[in-house]
Amino acid sequence: MMEIDGLRKSYGAKVALDGVTFTVRDGEMFGFVGANGAGKTTTMRIAMGVLNADAGEVRFGGHALAFDDRRRFGYMPEERGLYPKMKIGDQVAYFGELHGMTPAAAKSAAASWLERLGLSERAGDHVQDLSLGNQQRVQLAVALVHDPEVLILDEPFSGLDPLAVDTMADVLAERNAAGVPVIFSSHQLDLVERICDSVGIIAAGKMVAVGTVDELRRREGHRILKVEVADAAPGWEQGLPGRVVGTDDDALLIETTDDQAVLKAAMNAGRVGHFGWQEPTLVEIFREAVA
Amino acid sequence: MKGLLLVARREISVRGRSKGYLISLLVSAIAVIVLAFLPKLLGGPDSYTIGVAGSDSAAMSAALKSVKPPSITGDSAAIEVKEYPDAASAQAAVKNGDVDAAVIDASTMITDGGVSTELSLTIDTAYKEVATAKALDAAGLNPAQIAQATAGVAPLKQESVGEDADEASARMGVATILVIFLFFMLMYPVMFVAMGVIEEKSSRIVEILLSTLRPWQLLGGKIIGLGVLGLINVLVLLAAGLGAANASGLMPDLPPGTTAVLMGTLGWWILGYAFFASMAGGLGSLVSRQEDSNSTITPLTMLMVGCYLAALLSASNPKGTLATVLSYIPPFSAMMMPMRSASGSVELWQQLLSAVILAASVVGTLALGARIYRRAVWRMGSRVKLMDALRG
Ligand SMILES: Nc1ncnc2c1ncn2[C@@H]1O[C@H](COP(=O)(O)OP(=O)(O)OP(=O)(O)O)[C@@H](O)[C@H]1O
Ligand SMILES: [Mg+2]
Repeated sequence: MMEIDGLRKSYGAKVALDGVTFTVRDGEMFGFVGANGAGKTTTMRIAMGVLNADAGEVRFGGHALAFDDRRRFGYMPEERGLYPKMKIGDQVAYFGELHGMTPAAAKSAAASWLERLGLSERAGDHVQDLSLGNQQRVQLAVALVHDPEVLILDEPFSGLDPLAVDTMADVLAERNAAGVPVIFSSHQLDLVERICDSVGIIAAGKMVAVGTVDELRRREGHRILKVEVADAAPGWEQGLPGRVVGTDDDALLIETTDDQAVLKAAMNAGRVGHFGWQEPTLVEIFREAVA
Repeated sequence: MKGLLLVARREISVRGRSKGYLISLLVSAIAVIVLAFLPKLLGGPDSYTIGVAGSDSAAMSAALKSVKPPSITGDSAAIEVKEYPDAASAQAAVKNGDVDAAVIDASTMITDGGVSTELSLTIDTAYKEVATAKALDAAGLNPAQIAQATAGVAPLKQESVGEDADEASARMGVATILVIFLFFMLMYPVMFVAMGVIEEKSSRIVEILLSTLRPWQLLGGKIIGLGVLGLINVLVLLAAGLGAANASGLMPDLPPGTTAVLMGTLGWWILGYAFFASMAGGLGSLVSRQEDSNSTITPLTMLMVGCYLAALLSASNPKGTLATVLSYIPPFSAMMMPMRSASGSVELWQQLLSAVILAASVVGTLALGARIYRRAVWRMGSRVKLMDALRG
């Protein structure tokens, strides 16, 4: 279990993190979302010990995170970093050894990850000769080679083609299933919504919403009704408690706090084809939360 | 410790297998070998063949064989004499290159478009000897008496008010070459340390590295790895130089103790490298972009060039005040002291004292370089100010 507790960080007068707190349980996939400059990278760097927090603590399994814990983590930094002039097979194996693997184990793990990520034929190539997306696969292999106990990935999906996105998602789900907590940041909210167990939304250095996608829906949702009334006379919605915020095909989207009054009015107006709370997408939750 | 060794091993295997390193190793080894053979190449041929014909051939031939040709290397060329029945056949022999020159009637030198100063001086000396003997004979003096009288003439005595001039100039040559050698052998690996640190920071790979390695392991491993490669280069060049000097017959002409001086250079190189490389690591960590590297590395390069020029210019005056003072002041001492020891003007205890001072300063720069590195290496973006890194 990873606990991020009350992290604060300022760059001069600029406050980057203002008390960031959230928890990621073992085997949980945590999507970390927020606008540009909200503080995702800063939080992850502090978690990896690459940056020192001004205040707050990161705990792992109940104790303050130490250097030796982090050696068993897998990390993908926002700005990808690899040795441009080193063969990718050697490079992945080198990182395995840095994480404490024996040379032989590191070598075979490197080979099997490159195989898994479709880079076997390129094992002898230099990183600088690979396309950006392929470099990113190597970066993922570097993060995974030592069978990490925690994965912290800063925008792992950016720049990947749809097939690579699927591979990446599969790999993460697999590690997740093995009990590894996975924290990743992303701007692809549909993807986050699809694969994450829980989501944290950060805005201007503060967590504005944390929870499972359903929890966030429940919290943010139940404000907008989707009502479809067949054969209703135009203007039946006039005088309802609430206001119409849009339409969805023939249905009206009505923001209200008195659902029962709206239901009565709809039944009076005609045959009710659909009546229910509109499920907000993560995009909508996000917009609402950071607004 | 394991991390340190892993980093060092990577540097050795990646940098050591790069074309740049192998080529520079080869080129510098060839340069050293050429240098060792140069005196021989410049010193002219090992032997001359001279033809004689006409009257007084026997006397001329004897005189030529007794002359030692002058030489810049100290190894005189051997003289071989061939006798020809007449002037025409001697001339033909010169023309077709059987002999380098010929002397007819002990009075005329035949050449094929001129000869080297060395050969011309040799023949001239022999000619004067024969001609003088003939003139004395013509004046009625008996050859036996002449021989008796001239036997008493002692060869020109040589006394020096300074040091042995020959040896001094050889020493100065060795000292100069040593300084140039040290400078390049230091410059390359030190620049590699700076470039390697900047490469890791600019490619952002430090972020991953620092989550598994301590900064001192990363910097220390790099300095050790590149140091091993530099040391291999130094050893290869020393071996190539000494081997070539042996093969070319230069060895006996080198001043006594040269081999010991060259071995001592190894120690000076290690100390100098540790000093400059730790500075390079610290300074390199201040910038996150390759383009910014000049601004931080230039002061270091200037310092190294300064040490180099000071030592190089002092080679002609190794006992001067400047040379004496700087040979105890790090990092100048790293090049000045080996230069002075090559020039034979220092005692062993002076060298040891200077080495101890330099070693102490190396401890200081290592600590300082590691401190700057530790504080600056993960500060991305614009250049970190040196003062911030020291305080930070
Ligand atoms: N080295 C730095 N110096 C000064 N300010 C910084 C530095 N690094 C980050 N910041 C500031 O901290 C804030 C948070 O940045 P951070 O990189 O964590 O955002 P982010 O959520 O990762 O954004 P993005 O989605 O664009 O990657 C930003 O306002 C940024 O300007
Ligand atoms: Mg970011």
